[in-house]
Amino acid sequence: MIRSLGYFWELIKGSLITARHFVVNMWFHTLKLFGIKTKRRGAVTIQYPEQKKALASRHRSLQRLLKRQDLKPRCVSCMLCVTVCPSECIYVEAAEDPDPDIQKYPSTFIIDLSRCCFCGFCVEACPEDAIRMDTGKIDLAQSTRQDLIYDLDKLLK
Amino acid sequence: MESAGMKIVIDDRPVEVEEGTTILQAAKQAGLHIPHLCFHPAFVPEGSCRICLVEIEGLPKLELACATAVRDGMKISTQSPRVREARRGVLEFLMADHPLDCPICDKAGECKLQDYYQEYGLFEGAFKEAKEKRDKIIKIAEKLILDRERCILCTRCVRFLSEITKTQELGVFRRGIHSEISTYEDAPVQNNYSGNLVDLCPVGAITDTEFRFKTRTWFLAQSESICPLCSRGCNIYVDYHPGFTRIPGTAKIYRIRARENLEVNGRWICDFGRYGFPSLEKDRGDKILWKKEGRDTIMSWEKILSLLAEKLRPRHRTKNTSNIAVVANTWMTNEELFLFKKIFKDDLGLKKIFFADPRPGSGDGFLLQAERTPNARAAKEMGLELNPVNLDDLSKNTDVLIIFGPFLADLHDPSSLKNDLDKIRTKVLVSSHRSGLESYVDFILPASGILEKTGSLTNRDGLVQKFSAVCPPCGDSRPEWSVLIELAKELRINAGYYSRLTQPEVILKEMGKEIAFFR
Ligand code: SF4
Ligand code: SF4
Ligand code: SF4
Ligand code: SF4
Ligand code: FES
Repeated sequence: MIRSLGYFWELIKGSLITARHFVVNMWFHTLKLFGIKTKRRGAVTIQYPEQKKALASRHRSLQRLLKRQDLKPRCVSCMLCVTVCPSECIYVEAAEDPDPDIQKYPSTFIIDLSRCCFCGFCVEACPEDAIRMDTGKIDLAQSTRQDLIYDLDKLLK
Repeated sequence: MESAGMKIVIDDRPVEVEEGTTILQAAKQAGLHIPHLCFHPAFVPEGSCRICLVEIEGLPKLELACATAVRDGMKISTQSPRVREARRGVLEFLMADHPLDCPICDKAGECKLQDYYQEYGLFEGAFKEAKEKRDKIIKIAEKLILDRERCILCTRCVRFLSEITKTQELGVFRRGIHSEISTYEDAPVQNNYSGNLVDLCPVGAITDTEFRFKTRTWFLAQSESICPLCSRGCNIYVDYHPGFTRIPGTAKIYRIRARENLEVNGRWICDFGRYGFPSLEKDRGDKILWKKEGRDTIMSWEKILSLLAEKLRPRHRTKNTSNIAVVANTWMTNEELFLFKKIFKDDLGLKKIFFADPRPGSGDGFLLQAERTPNARAAKEMGLELNPVNLDDLSKNTDVLIIFGPFLADLHDPSSLKNDLDKIRTKVLVSSHRSGLESYVDFILPASGILEKTGSLTNRDGLVQKFSAVCPPCGDSRPEWSVLIELAKELRINAGYYSRLTQPEVILKEMGKEIAFFR
């Protein structure tokens, strides 16, 4: 009995917090409407996903693999990104490149986005600047896990 | 000769060593590591890399630790500023033409050059000249690739081939900065020990195609094990990758390396063993099957063992076991052979006990033995006779047959095998690998592969060597020792005895009590 009363008390507390934010914000917005300058401003939200904010230049979004001039991946399969990745979500298989100056190229490169925590360590670790997280794609939700497995083709696009 | 020791002091540590010991070995005895690249304990010192320089009190110049014998009363310093400075200089010269391919070099992570650079180098390269270009992919053997840019000309590979295998396929050609390792007139390195060059090379100049580019060394878990492919019992390291979540098939064994044991294999293993391991992972059976009226039914261990026990128990009770036959093999560990003997020979009193082992190959006069099974000696020491399978004897008046191991399939041609096995009512196969025998039997019990088991093996010289599991068992498989114990429990023979034997170590101890050889 007392416990369920406590539940209602928490509900009321929560509504009061919401109400307080509403009143405070309305107050500052109204002041602004009348041209009165205050130190504090009313909070503004945007209507995501219809409206989108510009991403900061140092943001981290979906990974991409960069290409050489001959359109082959820059990646040399050193697996340093695999090593550093704290979520263990990168898997690379290497193959022998006929060009002795390249030697190693990735025959498989998989990022399991369902595990990725967007830390950006893979980008930092790469000695070849072969992987970047600057695609600007941040709405990556999918309805199946399989769709979150990004392979070489998807990452090179 | 008097064995009076030489008293020396290395870095303020007094040690007493025998006459003729080199400074490097003396330091090792004192627990100090002196960096070395060209020195290898198995070969005569070469003194070509110069990284092992140490300072000796009273001598004006630094001396090579690998090639200088100690003298009584010597005072040696291995870490003085002069020594460290000299090592830095040596490293700078070694790396002057070194490509620093570390990100794509298979040695990275266990490369001595990397280690020593971390410890003594850490310089900014002062060379302005461009690095010399050399050939990077030279096939020097069926499975070996030489990278001349990475080679530091320590000549370990050359000395191995001239001192150990005595085949001398590699040499140093040309002079000065143009020196390079090469085969003679393109005749490849061709001997059964070529894989050791990969372990030996202190840098990533020699790589083998089996491991090249497959993974990075720091991902691998290294386990100590015993090579099961011949009766020598060479000590090995097995490097295993536990795999990536959600990417199937990534857990696997990547390579086998030699482990030092001077009593057995020295510091080497043969290529037959080193490159034979993929066959241990291929064609594995992983399901417990009962082929009931031609239909495969997947079973649990409890069910299938009680089913088998039901078939054997009445025969045991009426002491009418003459129509049971068993086929063992000597890939089974000491513990398993012991349990096998206890249950089938001693308790059930079977007469028809046979062995089916891989066909002998040919030995090479060094490590590889003709006997291609790891544990034949143990069976002999236990008093088991290694009777080869004679299909007529096997099938005559036999009602129940239990086969351990897949090897029977290779020893007899399929039609006669089928013919004779068809005469037997109940046939059970306990095997780690698929071999074709599956189609002739009724019950299939998957056994763990030898690298998935813990136990011990007895090599041809009678040395009992313990080993533990490298990776988890494949699928539903279980090691034979646990299958045998469970079977014995189901049969209710000697219940108190078998329920005590819970682990391979316990079984080995029990063996020691009963058979003097295993004490
Ligand atoms: S961003 Fe972080 S978690 Fe994601 S793949 Fe890169 S290293 Fe792994
Ligand atoms: S770190 Fe860079 S070059 Fe190395 S495997 Fe990852 S993406 Fe490729
Ligand atoms: S040999 Fe050692 S230092 Fe040279 S590239 Fe390979 S890992 Fe790097
Ligand atoms: S190939 Fe390796 S072992 Fe042979 S000389 Fe060069 S560095 Fe030494
Ligand atoms: S280890 Fe002494 S010179 Fe190379």
